[in-house]
Amino acid sequence: MLEIGGLDAGYGRLTVLHDVAFRIGDGEIVALVGANGAGKTTLVRALCGLIAPTAGRIIKDAFDVTRVPTHERMRTGIAVVLENRRLWGELTVRENLRLAEVNARQGGKVNFTLADVTRLFPIIAERQSSAVELLSGGEQQMVAIARALLMQPDLLIMDEPSTGLAPKIVKEILGVIRGLRDRGISLLLVEQNVGIASEIADRGYVMALGRIVHEIVPGGWQSFLSDERMVKAYLGD
Amino acid sequence: MFSSLVVQAILSGVTNGVIYALIGMGIAVIYKGSGVINAAQGEFSLIGAVVAVFAMKAAGFSYPIAFIAGAVFGILLGIVVDVVLVRPMVRRKADEDAFLLLTIGIAFAISAGVLFFAGRDYFTLPSIGSDGVAIVFDATIRYHAIWVIVACAAIVAALRFFYRKTSFGLAMMAASIDADGAATTGINVAAMRTATYGMGGLLGALAGLLVAPIVPISYYMGLVLTLKGFCAAMIGGLTNPMGAIVGGIILGLVESLAIVFIASAYKDVVAFSVLLVIMILVPQGILGRRGRKGG
Repeated sequence: MLEIGGLDAGYGRLTVLHDVAFRIGDGEIVALVGANGAGKTTLVRALCGLIAPTAGRIIKDAFDVTRVPTHERMRTGIAVVLENRRLWGELTVRENLRLAEVNARQGGKVNFTLADVTRLFPIIAERQSSAVELLSGGEQQMVAIARALLMQPDLLIMDEPSTGLAPKIVKEILGVIRGLRDRGISLLLVEQNVGIASEIADRGYVMALGRIVHEIVPGGWQSFLSDERMVKAYLGD
Repeated sequence: MFSSLVVQAILSGVTNGVIYALIGMGIAVIYKGSGVINAAQGEFSLIGAVVAVFAMKAAGFSYPIAFIAGAVFGILLGIVVDVVLVRPMVRRKADEDAFLLLTIGIAFAISAGVLFFAGRDYFTLPSIGSDGVAIVFDATIRYHAIWVIVACAAIVAALRFFYRKTSFGLAMMAASIDADGAATTGINVAAMRTATYGMGGLLGALAGLLVAPIVPISYYMGLVLTLKGFCAAMIGGLTNPMGAIVGGIILGLVESLAIVFIASAYKDVVAFSVLLVIMILVPQGILGRRGRKGG
C-alpha cells in the first residue's frame, strides 16, 4: 500500500525528518505516535506533498509519488485529514463536500457517496447549509473526515483527529474509523495520545526527534504501554 | 434647480462609483486569491480600453467584437502576470512587499508600453446604447451611464453565481481560504491563483471598457484608476470583493456631492478625507468580514 524509505524532509535549511522508513500494508491500521515536536506533522506534510523531501522515496502501490504534486497525489488514492482540519470555514458543509466530490479520484476500488458519509455522520445532513465555521470542533472533524472519504482513498492519513474534542465525540469518531477497514481503506493514524492509538491500531511506530525509534508489532501495544521507561522517554508525560 | 443639481450629482456619482467598484473588486479578488495588492489593476483597465480602440480603428472590427477583444486581453494579461512574474516569485518564497513592488513595476511598464505604442492620445470608445440622455427629476443621465450601472449589476450577479454555484469558482474560493486544505482535496492551487489573476484582469478590462466612453483614456491614467479602485476596496473591506461595490458607490457619491457643495477642485481632498475617516473608524472596512460569502 505505502512504503517510505530513507526520507529526509524539513523546512528550508532545517531538516526535521531523518532517514524515516516504514510501511503500511493493505487493510492495515497503523499508528504513528510521538511527543509534541517529534516530527509527526512534518511527516504527514511530506507524505501529502505539502513539503518536498530532500532525500528518500514515497511509494504508493508500486508507484513513486515522491515528486508528485499534492493535488495529483490525492488521486493515487491517498487522502488526508490535516491537523486543524483545514476546512473552508466560510463555505457551507455541502460546498466543502462538493469540492471533494468533483476533485475525487476516478476509478478507484473505493466508492464513497454523499449518502454513505451522511450515514456515518448524520450531522452532515442536519447542518449541510451551515457555514463550516459555525460548527463545533467535533462536527468540523466529522466534516473533515467525510471530505477526505469522498476523495475515494484506499489510504487515509489522519493527523491528530482526537485533539481538542470531548471524549464522547472521540469515541464516535473512532468507531467510524474502525469501520473504514471493512470498506477497503488502510489507515495511518498520527496520534499524540498513545491510549487512543493502541485502541484501534494493529501496529505502530514511535517517533522522536524526527526519527522512527521504535516499532510496535501486532499485539505489542500492551508490552509497550507497560514499559514505563520507554513511554516516558519517547512520549513524555 | 438646486435639487436637480443634487440629483445630477447622485447620478454621476453612482456611475463613477460602479466603475470604481469594478476596479476595486478586481483588486479585492486578487488580494483574496493571492494576498497580493495589485497596483497594476488600473493598467488592466487601460489595456482593455486601448485594445478595444485599436481593434476598431486599426483592425476595423465592430464595437462588440472590439469590446470582447478588450476583455479577453484583460484576462490574458492577468494570466501572464501570474504565470511569468508572480509564480517564480512564489516559488522563491518572496515577501509581500516584494509583490507590491512587482505590481508597481508592472504598472509603470504597461503605462510606458502604451505610451510607446499608442502615443499620448486620449482614447475614447463609442457609448453603449445611443448617445442620448434620459431625464430624471430635471437631471440628465446618459443612456451609456444607465448601461454602465446595469452592466455592473450583471457582472456582480455573474460573479456571485460563479464563485458560489460553479465547481470552478468554489475551488478558486477554497484555494484562497485554505491552500493546504484545497491541495489535499485535489485542487491545483497554483492554477486557481492563475485563474484569480485572469478574473482580476477581466474585471479591470471591463472597467476600462465601460469608462472609456465617459472619460477619454490615456497612458498615464492607470494609476488614478488604481487609487480610486483601491479606495473602493478599502472602504468596503479588502477581503470582501462585494464590499468594493458599497465602497465604490460611496466614493463616487462623496466625490460628486463634493463638487456640488464645495468645489470641483476639492473633490479628491474630500473623497480621500472620507477614506481616512472610514479607515480610522472601521479599519476592517464598512462590511468587514460580513458578506464575505460573495467571493
